This record gives sequence, structure tokens and C-alpha cells, in this order.
Amino acid sequence: MKIGNYLKDKIFIISILLIVYFIILSFIIGFKINIQFKIIFSIIYLLMIIILFCYDYFRKYFFYKDMINKLKLLDEKYLLCELIKSPYFLEGKIFYDVLYEINKSMNENIIDYKEKINNFKDYIELWIHEVKIPLSALILYTHNKKVNKTILKEINRIDEYLEQILYYIRSENSNEDYIIKQVLLSKVIRDVMLKNKDILLEKNINVTIDLDNILVLTDIKWLEFMINQVISNSIKYVRNIKNREIKIKAYKNKDNIILEIYDNGIGIPKCDINKVFNKTFTGINGRKINSSTGMGLYIVNNLCKKLGHKVKIESDEGKYTKVLFYFDSNLFYREVC
Amino acid sequence: MKKILIIEDDKLICSELEVMLNNSGYKATVLKDFENSLASILNINPDLILLDINIPFINGEELLRNLRKESNIPVIMVTSKNNEIDEVLSMSYGADDYITKPYNPTILLLRINAVLKRTLNKIIDTINYHDLIIDIKKGVVKKDKEEIILTKNEMIIFLYLYQKQGCIVSRDELMTELWNNDEYINDNALTVNISRLRSKFKELGCSDIIETRKGQGYILL
Repeated sequence: MKIGNYLKDKIFIISILLIVYFIILSFIIGFKINIQFKIIFSIIYLLMIIILFCYDYFRKYFFYKDMINKLKLLDEKYLLCELIKSPYFLEGKIFYDVLYEINKSMNENIIDYKEKINNFKDYIELWIHEVKIPLSALILYTHNKKVNKTILKEINRIDEYLEQILYYIRSENSNEDYIIKQVLLSKVIRDVMLKNKDILLEKNINVTIDLDNILVLTDIKWLEFMINQVISNSIKYVRNIKNREIKIKAYKNKDNIILEIYDNGIGIPKCDINKVFNKTFTGINGRKINSSTGMGLYIVNNLCKKLGHKVKIESDEGKYTKVLFYFDSNLFYREVC
Repeated sequence: MKKILIIEDDKLICSELEVMLNNSGYKATVLKDFENSLASILNINPDLILLDINIPFINGEELLRNLRKESNIPVIMVTSKNNEIDEVLSMSYGADDYITKPYNPTILLLRINAVLKRTLNKIIDTINYHDLIIDIKKGVVKKDKEEIILTKNEMIIFLYLYQKQGCIVSRDELMTELWNNDEYINDNALTVNISRLRSKFKELGCSDIIETRKGQGYILL
């Protein structure tokens, strides 16, 4: 609150006070009253005005300055009411009460929405688990009846889409339903590879894996999902060549343990590479393949952020794609656990 | 023959599991009386239980905890919840393994096999097969003083066939077993490995031990 603005706001009152002053002054001159009285009257009158305005100004100045400073410092601006006290002057009090009521009703609204979203999320999760039961039955049935493998492939595709939505919900939600533990990378890779075994063999993709016995701190299920997304991309975007391959290795550097997943597929065009983690981005490659949703890598990136890992992607179009996962190798997690 | 009890409330899954397990050389039984589940389990006394978490009357985890007070029958928990927290909980209640729906049937069979082997608590170093001695640790096959080295892949294939001796083993099963041991080989390599295995046994005078059943798989005689 600048003093200039304050005075401008009070211009009406100030002008009335000045008019009154000049009227009284003209009376004093008109009635030929002692000149000393004129001076004393002027000093007292003007001093009174200044004191009154100073009192009013500073009272408001401190309240509003405090409020604006706190507002600037706050990340969650809607918490402002909790931080300021109700002021002593009337307008401020009215203003404060109104703000408080607005805030309260907004919070109630937000809680309402949160609850709705949570209920929806719970329902979807439950629904996904329900759908998986008939899927299991179908898989067993096709296995026993030795039904054509294309049907099994389609069932597995359904399962993959279900997993995607499940992890989308998990990645968007603040509920932290994961457990950080030491995980043997080769075990996670083994499970992902077994899951994709049939299609890898069918597409003639050679798999080379070099992981030693490297352990990382992560949630095993989330990591399995992330690696599965990357591997299914590698399988989707193969080149029309004889020696198709996927190479997976892990190594340590100073700060990180790095898991590298390399494929010699069609690669990613330069203009698209910075956008692959964007939501629903499919790009030039996505248009070639109709089963691209543009969600896979977006979810992977989100899950990585939640777990404190990093994911990067390198590619040379027409030659290779390399996805790198960075895991912290310091002992922070272990101390927390 | 190992007896496996299926505790699961989806009818199609039950019947298909039963067929699959019976085809794979186990004797499968389906639990019908969920109301007195614990008593029926103890009555049936299986070698292994496939226990679904969502069953009528009692939660699977609850049932597992009650069961553990009475018996150490190996239990594989089956659930559609793909969640690490649930898995950790089940294992802490005393499950021997945990598998999520929808599972690959071949992988389920591998897991069952692994749990049964683990609970037998026998670490076998050598196998006597016909007049041969197979030393698993050293990776060799011996006959009198002759010795032939088997590669890791050949050993995995032989051991798997040996466990299922007399049963047909599909190529898919062998492949799954190999990949499960981190040997990510392709179809050609599997064919090559099997023919090498055959010729190595032939050198020791055991010809035609692995029979090919067209379109079905292999049998170790």
C-alpha cells in the first residue's frame, strides 16, 4: 500500500476537510479575530488531520503489507487465511471474514472432488482386478485346448492395456502404494522376458543380457511395468532386418546405477525425441503403428519421478534406440527403510 | 503322484486348472466346501495348495494364517492384485510363492515344480540315469571312466526332461525353463542343443534316449 495511492483513495475526505478549514479560516478573517488565534487554530487543525490519517494509514499498511508478503512466500496460496490474523479495523474484518468463508467453501469443494476421484480410482482398480479373472480363465482355456496362438496374443494385449491404465492411476495418484526394497535386476528382467518370450521368438529378436548381480533400490512391480513398456516398444518398432536384437546391461558410475536397454529397431526421428515422454504423444513412428497410445513412456517417466529414478532416451533414426534408467546408488533409501 | 489342491471360486479357472495339472502329471483336487475350508484342507492333505485370495466366506490370507498354525503344506498364493504390498504380506503369513493373474500356465507349472522341489529340501548333486551318472555340479556325464561335459543349456534341458521322465514335454516348456534360468536362446539354438545332447549321450552308448513327438514335444525314455 503506497502512500500516494492511499491519499488518492481518501481524496474526497481530504478535500472536505480542507474546504471546512478554509471556511472556518474565512470566518476568522471576516470576524477580525486575533491573528495569533488564526495560527494556533491552523496548527491544531492540520496536525489533527495528519495524526488521524497517519493512524489510519499505518494500521492498514501493516496488515496489508504482512498479507502480501505472506502471499508471495506461500506455494499453496489458498492457505493464506491460516497465516494472517483478523485485523482491528472494520473493513479489514469484513474482508477477512469473507475471505475465510470463501476459503472454507472452496476447501469443502476440493475435498468433495478428491473423494470423488479417489472413489473412481478405487472402482477402476477393483474393476481391473475383476477383469483379470476371466482373462486368466481364457488363457488357461486356450492353453489346454491348444487354441491358435493369435488368440492368446490378443488376450495378452488386453492384459497389457489393463496394466497400463492401472499404472496410470498409480502414477497420477498421491497414494503411495509402493515398497522400496533391494531388487535384483536380473530377476525383474527375467520376468519381463518370460512375459514377452513368445513374441520375441516369433519376431526373431535375439536377446543378450549382461547384468551381473546388480541390486537397485526400487519397487519391483513398478520397475517390472516400466521395463515391460520399454521392451514392448522395442518389439513393436523393429526394423525389417535379419539380425534383430535387444541388449540389456547394467553398470555403475560415481552416483548412479544405470540400466541400459538397447534395440536396433527403427529408432526415433530427431524432431520427436524430446517429446516422447509427453502425454499422448505418438509422433511419426506412432502413426505407422496403429496400436500406439502415446501413454507408455509418459507413465514410465511419471513413475520414475515418483520413485526418484531418472529415465533418458537416446536414438539414431534407422539405427537404434537406447533407454537408460538411472537409479541412485547412494544409501539414502536404505537409511530411511 | 503329487496331490495339488485348488482353492478358487471361479468355476472355469477351476476346471481348466484341474485339466492342466492332471495333464502335467499331478493329481488335482478342487476344494468345494468353502465354509469349513480349513478342516477340508487338512482332510484332503495335499502336497501343495494353490490358494486364491478372494474366496467365499474367508479371506485367503486369513485362511493361510490359520493353516500355518496347523500345517506346513506348501502354498502358492494366486491373486489378481498386482501389488508389492500384498505380496510381501502374503509371504509374511507363510506363503511359499505368489503369482498374479493372469499368469502364463507354463510359468505356473515351473513355479509349482520349484516350490515342490524346495520343500523336499533335497539338494541333489548326482543323478543315476540308466548306467550313467550325471554330476550336476560339475556339469558332466560319466560312464565308467568316460566323461563328457554338458553345457549349461544342455544340463538345464536334460534335468527338466529327467524330472518329467516318461511325460511329453513341449518345446515351449523347455524354452520357458531355459529363459527362466537366464538363458535367452532362440528356436534354432534349442533344436541344436537337443541334437547335441542326443549325440553326447550316444557317444556314451545311450542312443535314442530323447524321443521326438511330432507337434507335441519330447520325451525322455
